[in-house]
Amino acid sequence: MIKYHPSEQILQSYVQGELCASLSVAVSMHIDMCPQCQRLAHQFETSCAHSFIGEESDPQNEDSWDDLIAQITKDALFDERPAPAPLEIEVKGEQFVLPSSLHNVGLSGWLKLGKLSRSRLDLGDGKLHASLLHIEKGGSVPQHTHKGFELTLLLSGEFKDEMDNYVPGDFIMLDGEHEHSPVATESCLCFTLADDALHFSQGLSQLFNPIGKLIY
Amino acid sequence: MIEKSRQQSTETPQGSVMKDVAATQTSEQRLLSAEQQAQLCDWMDRIANQRDRKAFACLFKWFAPKVLHLGRQRFGDASQAQELLQESMANVWRKAHLFNSEKGAVTTWIYTLVRNQSFDMLRKMQTNREDNLSEDIWQQHSNERDDSAEFSDHLLDRQLVEYVEKLPEEQKNVVKGIYFQELSQEELANQLGIPLGTVKSRLRLALGKLKAHMGEHHD
Ligand SMILES: [Zn+2]
Repeated sequence: MIKYHPSEQILQSYVQGELCASLSVAVSMHIDMCPQCQRLAHQFETSCAHSFIGEESDPQNEDSWDDLIAQITKDALFDERPAPAPLEIEVKGEQFVLPSSLHNVGLSGWLKLGKLSRSRLDLGDGKLHASLLHIEKGGSVPQHTHKGFELTLLLSGEFKDEMDNYVPGDFIMLDGEHEHSPVATESCLCFTLADDALHFSQGLSQLFNPIGKLIY
Repeated sequence: MIEKSRQQSTETPQGSVMKDVAATQTSEQRLLSAEQQAQLCDWMDRIANQRDRKAFACLFKWFAPKVLHLGRQRFGDASQAQELLQESMANVWRKAHLFNSEKGAVTTWIYTLVRNQSFDMLRKMQTNREDNLSEDIWQQHSNERDDSAEFSDHLLDRQLVEYVEKLPEEQKNVVKGIYFQELSQEELANQLGIPLGTVKSRLRLALGKLKAHMGEHHD
């Protein structure tokens, strides 16, 4: 069962279209997997629509819109909604179907480091780095803290860390307070989003610090 | 910074405004809004099925001030607000046939088109990206919704329940099915064994009567 959800504040901003693309994509993928947040988002959407139509507005000169209306209604090209073909990717011989939110987001090639592989998502949100991270069964990310925040959305498989076990759909938001070393109990595919390099904090794993930048 | 910065940082967060608006609505306003929903549905049907330009003009004029208001709030700029109006209403025209009136409220559907358009515009301004991701981000969640909860909110008013009881039997069944049992118009048509159009016209008649009743009462 999904235990980790975006905060109501994040969900609210998502519904209002005020989150950056990377985070919007993450919330969208979570909602797809989480009926509870789907319902909540619908409620927020309804309230937003209420406040949208409830706005008192200045009286307008309606005639000034006639040209615009005529221009719009001249258009006879109506949108069809073709069912988008599921987008499949292969990592280390495993097939995954990507969520439709990622259909038009570019993926870089896979960088492979032992049991970890990652591909950058081209979302262009400044210093926010969004990636797909694949961890083979038994693979782990060395113990690290986060200078900024790190969001992990588990898309497939299972992993655990010092705090919990995670299942697909879990939306795990961590910051500098948290120190953990996730281990994949099943081979995993995650969406990750971080606003700074991880900081590896223990013994030999400190040697990984230069690659933290590469993974996240 | 995760959230995109607002253009006007002094704006009250919309979340609290929303609650205030909901709290101050009187039952009459709520009922009017339900009646308006029926009017909006009718315009949308005519746009979707007949590409009716007059209906589109009505819908446009009803929504335009609200879209401009949202645009000025979000962009702090009149020409951006005008672009938001033009682009989102063009989307309404081009996508009207995709709107499912049995499953969703027109107001929510149009709100989501405006929201999507403003997301893409904001992204373009802040990242210089021309890619429009909003349809992918919201596509699964935008169309298939049920507005019965919204209506039941509007109508779950004790006074109103009394009026509903006074309606002719056929209209009463439709109103109760849709607002109190939260059935979709389609489900209700199946359940009563009558055409969907009959459900719609009975509903329209019933809402008209309720509106008149409430009007008398409040005058
Ligand atoms: Zn959730």
